[in-house]
Amino acid sequence: MRLKYLWPGRRRREEREMREELAALTAIAGTKELGNLTLAMEDARANWGWAWLDGILADIRYALRGMRRQPGFVAVAVLSLALAIGANSAIFSFADALLLRPLPVRNPAAVLDVTSTTPDNPFEGMSFPDYRDLREKSRSFSGLAAYRLTTLAVAANSEAAAQIHFANLVSDNFFAVAGVAPVMGRAFLAEEAKKSAEPVAMISYDFWQQNCGGDHAVIGRSLRINGIAFTIVGVTAPGFTGLDRFVSPNIFVPLGMGQRLDGEATDPLENRGRHDLVVKGRLGAGASQESAQAEMATLGAALEREYVKANRNRHVAVRTELRRRMQQTPQLLALAKMMMGLVALILIIACSNVANLLLARGRARSREIAIRLSIGAGRKRVVRQLMTESLMVAVAGGVAGLAVAYGGILLLQTMSVPSDPPSVLGVRLDWRVVEFSLLAAVGSCLFFGLVPAWQTARTDFVSALKSGGDGASGKGRTVGRDVLVVVQMALAMVVLIAAGMFLAGFRNMLVMPSDFRTDHLISMDTAPAVVHYTRDQAKDFYRRLVEGVRGTTGVAGVAMAESIPLSPSQSFVSVVPEGYQFPNGSEKAIVFGGPVDAGYFRTMKVEIQSGRAFTDDDRAGSRRVAIVNQQFAKAYWPGQEAIGKRIRLGNADGPAAEVVGVAKTGHYQSVSETPSPYVYLAYEQSPRMRMTLIVQSSGDAGGLAAALRDAVRAIDGNVPVFNLRPVATLYASRATGTWLNYFQMVGTMGFIGLALATAGLYGLIAYTVSRRVKEFGIRVAVGASRRDVVWLVERRGLTLAGAGIVIGGVLTKVTAPMLAASFPGLGTSSAVVHGLVPAVLVVVSAAASYVPARRAAGLDPLRALREE
Amino acid sequence: MDLLQGTLEMLVLRTLLAGSLHGYGIAKNIRSVSNEALDIEFGSLYPALKRLEAKGWVASEWETSEHNRRAKYYKLTAAGRKHLVREHSKWADFVSAVGLVMGTAPEVKG
Repeated sequence: MRLKYLWPGRRRREEREMREELAALTAIAGTKELGNLTLAMEDARANWGWAWLDGILADIRYALRGMRRQPGFVAVAVLSLALAIGANSAIFSFADALLLRPLPVRNPAAVLDVTSTTPDNPFEGMSFPDYRDLREKSRSFSGLAAYRLTTLAVAANSEAAAQIHFANLVSDNFFAVAGVAPVMGRAFLAEEAKKSAEPVAMISYDFWQQNCGGDHAVIGRSLRINGIAFTIVGVTAPGFTGLDRFVSPNIFVPLGMGQRLDGEATDPLENRGRHDLVVKGRLGAGASQESAQAEMATLGAALEREYVKANRNRHVAVRTELRRRMQQTPQLLALAKMMMGLVALILIIACSNVANLLLARGRARSREIAIRLSIGAGRKRVVRQLMTESLMVAVAGGVAGLAVAYGGILLLQTMSVPSDPPSVLGVRLDWRVVEFSLLAAVGSCLFFGLVPAWQTARTDFVSALKSGGDGASGKGRTVGRDVLVVVQMALAMVVLIAAGMFLAGFRNMLVMPSDFRTDHLISMDTAPAVVHYTRDQAKDFYRRLVEGVRGTTGVAGVAMAESIPLSPSQSFVSVVPEGYQFPNGSEKAIVFGGPVDAGYFRTMKVEIQSGRAFTDDDRAGSRRVAIVNQQFAKAYWPGQEAIGKRIRLGNADGPAAEVVGVAKTGHYQSVSETPSPYVYLAYEQSPRMRMTLIVQSSGDAGGLAAALRDAVRAIDGNVPVFNLRPVATLYASRATGTWLNYFQMVGTMGFIGLALATAGLYGLIAYTVSRRVKEFGIRVAVGASRRDVVWLVERRGLTLAGAGIVIGGVLTKVTAPMLAASFPGLGTSSAVVHGLVPAVLVVVSAAASYVPARRAAGLDPLRALREE
Repeated sequence: MDLLQGTLEMLVLRTLLAGSLHGYGIAKNIRSVSNEALDIEFGSLYPALKRLEAKGWVASEWETSEHNRRAKYYKLTAAGRKHLVREHSKWADFVSAVGLVMGTAPEVKG
């Protein structure tokens, strides 16, 4: 094989040269003497070593010629593949962003999650003393790193307004365990872990680009974080988005700084009862997940024995990152599973289309192929030609599919992650997705192209030549293709029913009354802790803030809560309800809840169903009170009067609060959650450093924003204000926004499924009509009316659709309950959906069949009979 | 008579040692020199010739024949000559080795 002959021009020149030479020799010696010159040339060409390439080029040219003659076939096939592959790639990227994407560290497979677990919470964090002990004694891990995610107020200097950024407080070996070197500067040193050390920070690549303009002189510069001057020592590598899934930290500081940043009186790193660290370990040489788990279990048991008070019933679990994510967010797992399932159905529908088209083409061309075989083309050669065509369709579909995927990803990227500060879902097309989609395209086309190619090449060409161009009988029998269309219809129905269920779910959310007031309300978060207020100072700050805001014009009411319903960060309380027998190992309940002030229930319109709301008399010195929601009463005191019961706060030894009221159960984290218990504490009795102010306006809620900022500034300009937004906006994004996103995704799948299945049905009916031209001609000639013919064709289309609907209905019996179980809030109006979807399918099928039916009815009988 | 593989190329090179010839001329020459024993089909000779050309052992040029007809004439290159010398000695070794084994023609008794 010679490279110089690769260039087609070179080969053409040689070819010309050879022809001339042989023509000259023929003139000298005569044709007979020289023998078969075509063969001689063919053998001579083999010397160049590129004969196969010429063959493929010829195949491609031939295929292109054929495709130009049948643009409809190519368009439908390519479009089907493009939609299916595009949808698959986009959803794969989506699942990647939700669950699958590995940690952005070196060799992520060797990094395992190490969690402290209790029977009450399998994902509780690790305390620093426990982490320190594990790190010291572990032999399985070459390194154990700890960090916690938090938000910090960051400003360039003491004059600039602080902005809230996600941050990681990290152990000194964090970047060493991650195996990610900084792009500039250095990572933390061991001595910087001490709390007495100079405050140093690393910034993320994005923060460096966006807030420091990518300035190389940033190292050594100062940054005010929560009011403390930090020195920047390094910039993390681009693409290092931290070890959390949906939010990426912009600031990294040593864990030892935590106490000063939060202004805490005691060192959190010495508190074995404070479980707030995420721990990741990199496996050492020769260690496996099993050996690491065994070692951690032993070490964990020793810690439990040694520190009974803090570590009772506490274990250490080692999980892979993927397992942790799947267990921690089962609802995302359900979402990813459902979407992957739906796009798999779409892929099957699309492949059926391509298969049907290729089959139809193979049949229609059996005469041509028979001719080629009879004049001596090898069967292998004919199969190769057919495969080339399939492959070209596949490649075109794959490329177009990538374009579709790109568009889909742009849409998915707009999905926001419920977090404060807000962040977006990092959906991106990566090379694995590209490989996946091309593989899907080529694989499906080769598979579905092989069957017809093989069938065609096996054609008995004598009978094919004798019959009118179609290897099959004149009736156009298409059992295999009928089955494909029925399957398409059935699957389209499954996808459409799912889309209908989500539409119903979305509609429910739209009409569902909110369980609290959303109109004329604006909320604002402040964090006086950031500027190192003491507990008393913070209390005073909030008292003055409420007073100041109350006096502002346009304000109809003010309230405070640690967190408001449906805000991305919900607060929790640990409680021990009096008289409740906990299951074995468990000793307290961790439920949604937190302190609210006396105005909360009135302002938020949260209904008190029995007992009373908090009043101004529920103050620091008075008897501790609590209000629970109905669900709490039902769960912990079934069949008993909740009012008058007592709840221990924190643990069994904690202070007791008496239940004075029962509030209506609402939605706290998502509008589609199952009813959750909730505990309200009185703010004056359990003040927090970080509260949300809820302000009721007499006019437009948004109009109060500036006045609220001013009210904070009037007290202390350094206290950061964030998440200032009308409650209606929050509600819309959290309640209806999520469902709108779901519906858009599933609805798009439904639409694609319907379109592809319709195209499939249309293709089959049109093909049958074209095969039965003669028969229809005879029917019309012997007196069948146009309506008879139309009905004849329509009947076939509707029969296929009907069979699909029946099978789809059976399948839905399985899939719909599965969906309803995974997505609470779905399927209440499913009766409508189950009636509507088959109706839509029938109408669309009738319309798809009508076009070829009209054609059949409009045939001129004379011409139809002549046509052969 | 069948030709051993590679022998055809050797014959072509040997034939061109005497001077340049066109493709058909080579075939004719081999036939006459071998007293008609080696009747090589042009269909086999031509690809072999092209193979030799691709290897750089022969070169071709358009020339006018004695009968004033244009044809492509092939001639031995320096590399081709070297190759022929190698092949020739290998061939001679082969023939003498086979000769030693075969000895004189055995008598066949009926």
